Amino acid sequence: MIELHDVTKIYAGQTVPAVKNLTLKIKEGETCVFVGPSGCGKSTILRMINRMIEQTSGTILINNKDIREADPDRLRMGIGYVIQQIGLLPHRTIAENISIVPRLYGWDKERIRKRVDELLELMGLDPDETRDKFPAQLSGGQMQRVGVARAMAADPPIMLMDEPFGAVDPIVRGHLQDEFLKIQREMKKTICFVTHDINEAIKMGDTIAIFEKGQLVQHGTPQEILSKPKNEFVRTFIGTDRVVKMLTLFQVRSITKDNYSIIRENELANIRQKMDDEGAAVGILMNESAKPCGLITRDDLEKAGELNPEKIKEIACGKKDAFIDGDLLLNDALSLMLEWNCDYLGVLDGAQLIGIVSFDDIRECVRRKEGE
Amino acid sequence: MSNLLKYMVENASIILDYASTHFSLIFSAVAISLVLWIPLGILISRNERLASIVLGIANTIFCIPSLALFSVFVTIPFFGLGRPSSLLALVLYAMMPMVINVYQGIKVVDKSVIEAAKGMGMNSRRILREIQLPLAAPVMFAGIRITVVMATGIAAIAAYIGERNLGRLITEGLTRYHVEMILSGAILIPLIAILFDTVLGAVERMLVPKGLKVSRSK
Repeated sequence: MIELHDVTKIYAGQTVPAVKNLTLKIKEGETCVFVGPSGCGKSTILRMINRMIEQTSGTILINNKDIREADPDRLRMGIGYVIQQIGLLPHRTIAENISIVPRLYGWDKERIRKRVDELLELMGLDPDETRDKFPAQLSGGQMQRVGVARAMAADPPIMLMDEPFGAVDPIVRGHLQDEFLKIQREMKKTICFVTHDINEAIKMGDTIAIFEKGQLVQHGTPQEILSKPKNEFVRTFIGTDRVVKMLTLFQVRSITKDNYSIIRENELANIRQKMDDEGAAVGILMNESAKPCGLITRDDLEKAGELNPEKIKEIACGKKDAFIDGDLLLNDALSLMLEWNCDYLGVLDGAQLIGIVSFDDIRECVRRKEGE
Repeated sequence: MSNLLKYMVENASIILDYASTHFSLIFSAVAISLVLWIPLGILISRNERLASIVLGIANTIFCIPSLALFSVFVTIPFFGLGRPSSLLALVLYAMMPMVINVYQGIKVVDKSVIEAAKGMGMNSRRILREIQLPLAAPVMFAGIRITVVMATGIAAIAAYIGERNLGRLITEGLTRYHVEMILSGAILIPLIAILFDTVLGAVERMLVPKGLKVSRSK
């Protein structure tokens, strides 16, 4: 657990504090994202936690111990540290880079070798191919992975990450974020994560701390921040698509319903009857191998008028891609609905149909969360 | 041309004698410079105020004409004519290229590498030994290379204050207007400098850490 009590930092030769009277608690196993415009003091806070910068006043406690009582080098060895520029040692191999902290702890060679391979694998890098390379031989994304692996080498309970995925393109960044979230779900480290990107904050954070000019403006879960922005600054920082951002907090499967009917080819003629009987809003057309291959709503049926099986099949198959994986997020679902001009999507788990999601349900979900 | 060769062959033993004095002066000057200026370069890389003072002094000394500097030391009783004065002058000239290269070499090491290493708990001695010095080695060595070449040339001028080295072929040759003598000095000294430079250049290339020589395509 990390606690900051009334922490202020004034840099030498300046009058305006870079961080002012900050009190903040980060629970064990929680990822707290510090976010704000550049110059808001977020990196300064991070660097005070491992004493790269000393606070001017106030106390910082890690597991109830004042960090100023510890030897700075010992303190830092126990805290994983990742920076945007990564800072890999260019003259050392990847294996040597990753083993820096274990070497400082004096681990034996065999233990280090095993740990390096384990970490490379965890970060999705082939150990045999990577370990003896030099940093200059890796891509930006691979270097970021090595940077994270290096920070985790001695399995520190706390990680400080200063824009760790900032130096790669958006696609690679997305991958790295997803992978790190997966790893973190297992490791449950206490993480302070700095970013200027509100979307990254919403995605990575268990809690988000928003800073402006050295002061904490709001600290809360992503949902709290998005549904109840404390003031105009937070509202502006989040952006006008605040509610759409909120959709990114929920998986499609969380609001999936089962008011649909399975329609096989031979049932096309009495589709309306079947949907009425089953109280379904949507008919999902299945092919011979029981895979969903089309979707038709009540609205479509109304418009079709005459119930000609051929025509119904044509309409349904026209929306053969109006399906979404249950693991994806509500904003993805909304986007697909707009794309297919359709109020309903079929929800899949792999190739398996698990239900449907409707525009009304998304709206209902937002309304409910806004009220909370 | 044949006269020149004839002169050099006939006077081979004295020329070799001069050359060995020349070498011994260069070697002792470079050795003393390494011991003095490398630690000083490291020291000032950690203190900006000290750095500007030291680099200022080094630059000033470098601006003094070598003949003037040699002559001034001769006037100091303890030094006098000969080895002590010439050695001191050469060591002082070496200050500029050596100190500045050590300082620059350490300073140009990527800040984020140092930041990351410090953040992982490496202490400053370890950072110096394991990161800054290896990465600065090529630049530092370039400074040593310049020093050796420069010392080869300036050592010749020490012949004016009593050093019996290859420079003497020139000074004495001038006095006696002995063309072959002048030319043999004027050719041998740069030849030696080029030889040193070539050998040290090869060593310098070996000092570049392997990780800096590779790229993704290899």
